[in-house]
Amino acid sequence: MKLSAYPAFTATAFTSRLAYRNQVWSGMFGELVATFAFIAVWTAAFVGRGTVDGVTLPDMVTYVIIAGPLLNWNTTRYIREVGDAIRTGDVTTFLLKPLHYPALLFFNQLGNNAFEQLSITLPVAVIVALAVGLLPPASVAHGLLFLAYWVVSWSMMFLIATLTAMLAFWLLTAFALDWFLRGIMAVASGAVVPLWFMPAPLAAILGYLPFAWVSYYPSAVYLGKLDLPAASLHLAIGCIWLATLVGILTWLWSRMRHRLIVQGG
Amino acid sequence: MSPIISATGVGKTFRQLKRQSGFGGALKSLFSRDYTDIRAVDGISFAINAGEAVGYLGPNGAGKSTMIKMMTGILTPSAGTLSVLGREPHAHRMTNAAEIGVVFGQRSQLWWDLPVRDSFDLNRHIYDIPPARFADNLRYLTAMLDMASYLDRPVRQLSLGQRMRAEIAMALLHDPKILFLDEPTIGLDVVAKDAVRKFLAEINRERGTTIILTTHDLVDIEEICPRLIMVDDGKLLFDGELNRLRASLGSRRRLTLEFATDPGPIALTTATLTADEGAAKHFVLDDETVSLLDVLGELGRGHGLKDVKLEEPDIEEVIRTFYLNKPNLASAP
Ligand SMILES: Nc1ncnc2c1ncn2[C@@H]1O[C@H](COP(=O)(O)OP(=O)(O)O)[C@@H](O)[C@H]1O
Ligand SMILES: [Mg+2]
Repeated sequence: MKLSAYPAFTATAFTSRLAYRNQVWSGMFGELVATFAFIAVWTAAFVGRGTVDGVTLPDMVTYVIIAGPLLNWNTTRYIREVGDAIRTGDVTTFLLKPLHYPALLFFNQLGNNAFEQLSITLPVAVIVALAVGLLPPASVAHGLLFLAYWVVSWSMMFLIATLTAMLAFWLLTAFALDWFLRGIMAVASGAVVPLWFMPAPLAAILGYLPFAWVSYYPSAVYLGKLDLPAASLHLAIGCIWLATLVGILTWLWSRMRHRLIVQGG
Repeated sequence: MSPIISATGVGKTFRQLKRQSGFGGALKSLFSRDYTDIRAVDGISFAINAGEAVGYLGPNGAGKSTMIKMMTGILTPSAGTLSVLGREPHAHRMTNAAEIGVVFGQRSQLWWDLPVRDSFDLNRHIYDIPPARFADNLRYLTAMLDMASYLDRPVRQLSLGQRMRAEIAMALLHDPKILFLDEPTIGLDVVAKDAVRKFLAEINRERGTTIILTTHDLVDIEEICPRLIMVDDGKLLFDGELNRLRASLGSRRRLTLEFATDPGPIALTTATLTADEGAAKHFVLDDETVSLLDVLGELGRGHGLKDVKLEEPDIEEVIRTFYLNKPNLASAP
């Protein structure tokens, strides 16, 4: 299969989601409620205080909107589907075709998330921003860097989710891998509480783990909490993490393929 | 002409860690390297030429799926050499995949949520099929397999028979040189089975596509495959024409006559009584040439005959008879 043909999977994933258009409304409703709830919590926390550790309430509201709906990539269904395909051995049907399975997953999930971003999370972000106000990026350069971080955020989440799903092959249980990942992500990505409000030792550790590039760093860069050199440095570190995870994924996939082909699963 | 597929002493042994029962056993098996070896395929040799249709027959667990997986490149043989289209399949998985079509009766390759047409279109990309040829093939397959009415329906809404026809069509869109089918008729009703069999026979005849299909249903072989490879317990029992097997084994077709009331003993010159339940009597037809009309003619009217059933022998019975007659089968391997 030619590389130029893979985007066909993106288009197909996108259009097949149109068949479940009615899920869009419940998805939007859930996101709206969650986002407003977080904003209410932070508003309560800021009562009687202008700034906390140099962060203002408008900063936090903006953080919630970006880290919340916008960079909160939904991978529940994806992990379940890939995990099932791997556990039941259906994944061998992909070995029968002249294609690279992880590449197929990449382009497929790109279509899924593009659909969700355009139909659910982006509209929710706009609605909330219009309702309560959204700060502009700290500077034009921060805004541009944010766009790069946004791509890194999605790619990082794709890799983390795919690696999690592949664990199904070795664990061979109906263990709820997606719940496991959601628990980790809630804390380590900074989607709920930004790293700057965490105890210093915890923030130091999480600041170097790949999860922080999904929600925390992109939002912090948008707000200008990292100066331009620091933001560029962390973008580079994020890219090193991406490369590392691609390496791990490639290695795991070849181990898995080898075991499927030699031991028959 | 050199064969398109050749297997020489091919074997596959699965290693399974011996599981012990109980918690202590589970602990023990963490440390023990105690394996059970399962010989799923055991020293099998055959050669298949381009354009042949070969039925790979055997009871459950005989090693049919394992053999198909090795020929399609998703499983490595543990012994012997296997060559498909001049290549070792598992070592050239991608190249091999582009030139073969595979259908697994138990495993769908269609995209569950998409209309059938969209799954087909994805295959156009995967196999890089030129648009004109794709359109031609789609038209031909839609007509032949009678798929027009459900081409735009999502796969999850299809009946098993419709889905299987779509699976077969999908495997043929890229004009594969060989079509492998693992139990393509399993679970289908009589009408759907018939449609699939007729089509496979046709595609083999008209397009010259080489067909290898596994089954435990002799009728599949009868209608599609002049040649039969019979396996049991991983080993090859017979390789040749179905007629030759039939001739050497006898027909073994089973006849059941059901009467309104017990007519008393009934003897037939063309069939042997195997069981007498009074109102129901079971026979085995003596040879291939006996027809149902012969039997009914001999029986005549006036017995209060209610129902007649004529059944092909099932695979277990064929194999049992095969072992019994083995000394008589001089030409069998
Ligand atoms: N991956 C595997 N690991 C261990 N044993 C296997 C594996 N696949 C098949 N077997 C065993 O090999 C034998 C042949 O299986 P299979 O080829 O599926 O038979 P068939 O398709 O003829 O029913 C069976 O005993 C089956 O349990
Ligand atoms: Mg099988």
